[in-house]
Amino acid sequence: MLQKKVCMLGSFAVGKTSLVRRFVETIFSEQYHTSIGVKVDKKEVRAEGRDVTLVLWDIHGEDAFQKVQISYLRGMSGYLLVADGTRQQTLEDALALANHVAEMMEKIPAVLVLNKCDLAAQWEIEPDREARLAADGWSVFRSSAKTGESVEQAFSQLTLAMLRK
Amino acid sequence: MAENSIFESYLAEQGYVLFEYLGGGEFRALGSYPNWCKSIWGAESIRQKTLRLAELSPFLENFLVDADAFWNSKRKGAANSPVWIERDFANHETPLEAWAARLEGKKILIVRNLSSSFAERQRLFQTARDSLLEHEQLLREIQKKEILLHCIIHDLSQPLNAMRGCFNLLSMEKLPGEQRRMIETGQRESHRQEQMIRGILEAFSGELAVQQNSDGKASEAPDLAACAHQVVEQFSPAFLEKGIRLQLDPRLDAAHGWRVVGDAPRLERIFGNLLENAMRYTPRGSGVTVGIEDKVHCLLAFVDDEGPGLPKDASSDHLFALFSIGKDRPGKAGLGLYFCKITVEHWGGSIGAENRLGGGSRFWFKIPRAMKTTPIRSADKRSATQKSSPSVAAAASVAPLSKDQPAPLAPGHLGKASRRLQILVAEDTDVNRELVTELLQKRGHSVFAVEDGRAAIAALSKKHFDVVLMDEQMPGMDGLEATRNIRQMERASENHQIIIGLTGNVAEEDKQRRIEAGMDGYVTKPFDMQALFQIIESHTRGGQQPGPAQANPAAAAPASEDAAAHLERSTAGNKKLAQSLVRSFLADAPKKISDIRRAVAQKNPAILASAAHAFKGAAAIFGAPQVVAAARNLEAMGKTANLDGAEREFRTLESEFARLKADLLALRTPSGATRAAHPRKQKK
Repeated sequence: MLQKKVCMLGSFAVGKTSLVRRFVETIFSEQYHTSIGVKVDKKEVRAEGRDVTLVLWDIHGEDAFQKVQISYLRGMSGYLLVADGTRQQTLEDALALANHVAEMMEKIPAVLVLNKCDLAAQWEIEPDREARLAADGWSVFRSSAKTGESVEQAFSQLTLAMLRK
Repeated sequence: MAENSIFESYLAEQGYVLFEYLGGGEFRALGSYPNWCKSIWGAESIRQKTLRLAELSPFLENFLVDADAFWNSKRKGAANSPVWIERDFANHETPLEAWAARLEGKKILIVRNLSSSFAERQRLFQTARDSLLEHEQLLREIQKKEILLHCIIHDLSQPLNAMRGCFNLLSMEKLPGEQRRMIETGQRESHRQEQMIRGILEAFSGELAVQQNSDGKASEAPDLAACAHQVVEQFSPAFLEKGIRLQLDPRLDAAHGWRVVGDAPRLERIFGNLLENAMRYTPRGSGVTVGIEDKVHCLLAFVDDEGPGLPKDASSDHLFALFSIGKDRPGKAGLGLYFCKITVEHWGGSIGAENRLGGGSRFWFKIPRAMKTTPIRSADKRSATQKSSPSVAAAASVAPLSKDQPAPLAPGHLGKASRRLQILVAEDTDVNRELVTELLQKRGHSVFAVEDGRAAIAALSKKHFDVVLMDEQMPGMDGLEATRNIRQMERASENHQIIIGLTGNVAEEDKQRRIEAGMDGYVTKPFDMQALFQIIESHTRGGQQPGPAQANPAAAAPASEDAAAHLERSTAGNKKLAQSLVRSFLADAPKKISDIRRAVAQKNPAILASAAHAFKGAAAIFGAPQVVAAARNLEAMGKTANLDGAEREFRTLESEFARLKADLLALRTPSGATRAAHPRKQKK
C-alpha cells in the first residue's frame, strides 16, 4: 500500500497531538500533556480511489527547551502546519518554521491548521489575515481537535495534495 | 564468562539492548532480548536469527540513515537519536532513545528504554511549559487592564464632567423647592457615580502600580539609553537564534544620561514590543538597529529593520490601533503596538512608523526629557496615591462633599471672588469649555477661551492672564507641550505664569508629568466647581468675599466648618479634647513656622523636610488642605534637596496658616464650636 510520511509542525501547546488523536482514534482530552520527542502513528485513508497509509509524525512543539531537528523531516511527503488561533504568536512562529522548511527542502505539500476554533471568544486571528494567507497559497483550516471540526478535511486536503504532486 | 553475564544483567536492568548491524538492513541482538522489545517489535522477530529494525519501526528507519552515516565515517563517540515513543501491542507507550556506536570494529546500535526516568523529565517539561503559557496569559491580561484603565479615564469621565457642570450651573439659579431637590439629587448621584469610577480606577491603578514599581525604580526619571541597552541585551539571544543581527546604533552613548519622563519598566516594554515586531518581519541574515537621537526638547528613539517595509496602505494610525491584528503587519494580539502608543502619548510623547530610504522600516517614538522637579499643588481630593494616608487625604479634601455624605452645594454658596481674575481657558471639548467659562464668569472672573495649546500661547503673547486653565489632552499642541513651551519662554524673564491643568488622569505618573511640564497645579475631571475656584484663587490670592447667599451666616460654608468637621471626626465628638488640640496647635505652630522659615532662609533641606513634615501632621487634624498642601510641598523640596520656589511656597504656607488660625480661634468660643460642629443641620 502507498505510504506517505506526514509531519505535524508547530509551537508547543497548539494541539498537534490532539489533532492526531482526533484523526486516528477520534479521541480528545481536555488535559494538556506536553509532548517530548516524536511519536509515530498510522492511519489508512482512501483518496482518489487509492488506499494510502499516512504515517503521522507527531513532532514535539518547538520552544526554548526543544528544537525540531531537520533529520525528523527526512522522507516527508507533506506536513500539517499547526497554530493555536487563540495565540497569535504561534501563527508567526509556525510561519517562521515553514520558511525554515522551505529553505532546507524542496517544495512540499502542506496545509495550515488554525486550531482551537471552539474558543471563539479568545480568537486572535482576523479573517482577513486568513484571506491573505490563502492568497499566499496556503490551504487554511480553522479546526478544533475538541469538536473534530475540519480535522478530517485538513488531512484529506493534504493527502490529495501529496497524491497530486 | 561470569563477568560478561553480570555486565549483561546490569545493562538489561538499566533498560539497554544492543544490536550488531550485519549489513543489508539486518541486525542481531547481542545478549538477552528483553520482554519490552518483544512487546513492541514482537516475539516472532527474535525467533528469527536476525531482525530488520527499519521495517519494525518507522522512527528507527529514519534514524538508521544517520547511524549508517556515522558507522561509515571516522567520527568518534556515538550518534544519538532524540527521544521517541513506541507503542506495544497493548497500546502502552514506551519512550526510547538510540545510539549508533563502533565497538571493537563492529557497528553497534544501542537502544534504551527510558521508562524509569521519563516521568520526571515529562514533569519538568510540563511545568516549564505550563508556566510559559500562564505567563503569556498574564501579560495579555495586564495589557487588557491597562487598556481598560485608559478607556475609563478618557471616555467615561467626559460625559460625567458635563453632567456635573450642568448640575452645578443649575444649582446657582433661583429654583423652586421641588426643582432644587431634583437638582440636588442629580448632583448627589453624579457625585456617587464619580466615586464609583474612581474606585474602579484606584483598584486598577493600585494593581498596575504593583507591577510597575516592582523593581523600585518607577519614581526615578529613567535613562532612555540604559533602557535601550537593557532590552537589546535581553533580546540578543532570540535574534541570534533567528539569524538576525541586533545592534545598538554606534552613535548611542550610554554616558549621555538621557533622562526622560515615564518609568524604566514600561520604556523597556515599549522597546521590547517594537523589537518583537521587527523580529517578526526581518529576514534571516539581515539586521535590526536600536538608536536614540537628541531632538533638544525631546529624545527620538527608533528601531530600524531591514524587512520588507510597511505595506503601501498602512498608516501609523492603523498600525498602532487597538486590536489591529492579523493584517499587513500583525502583532501579538493587537495590543503590543497599541500599548506603545497609549503609553508614549500618556507621557506626552508621540509614536509612528515609516519606510526607510534604503529599505526596511523605522518604528520610532519621541518622548520628553525629564526636567528638574518642582512641587505641585492639587485640588484633586481623590488621588489613588493619597487614599492610604488619612492626613494627606484630609489635606486634599477641598470640596464640601465627603465620600460618606455626598451633599449638594447650596445655591450661591460660593459667592463672588474678591478679585476679578483674567483667566485663559484652553480646552478642546466644546461642552467643557462652555461649562468652565460659564462657571468662572458666574464667579465673577473674566474668561477668554481657546481650543488648543498653540492658541493659548498666542493669547498669552497678546494679553496678561492671571491664570491659565490648560486641558492636558488637546489636538495639535496639547496642554503639557504648551506648558513646556511657556516655561521655556519664561526663562529669559522673571515672570511666572500660573498654569492649572485640567485632566482626567489620576495616576501617579500623570502627576509626575505635570510637574515635569511645569504646571502649578491641576484639577481632575469631572471637577467640582468649589475645587476649581479654590485652586485658582489659592494661586492668585483671589479669595472669596461674601456673596448674596452668604449674607445669611447659616447658609455660608466658611473654612472653619471644614476644620470643625475634621476635628469632630478626629476627636469622635469630644469637645474638650477638640478645644485642647486647638490650644496646643496654636501654641506650638509659631515655633514650627519659625523652624520652617529658618530652614528656607538657610537653605537647609534636611531641617526643612523635618519641620515641614511635623507641621503638616499637626495641621492635618483640622483638615486645612491649603496649609497641608503647602507644608507637603515644602517637605518634598527638603527631601529632594531642591529648594527652588521654597520661599514662595513658604509665603503660601504663612498666609494659609493665618486663615486657619482665624478659623480655629473662632472655634474656641462655645457658640462657634457648636455652630461649626453641625454645619449641615444648620443650613436646613
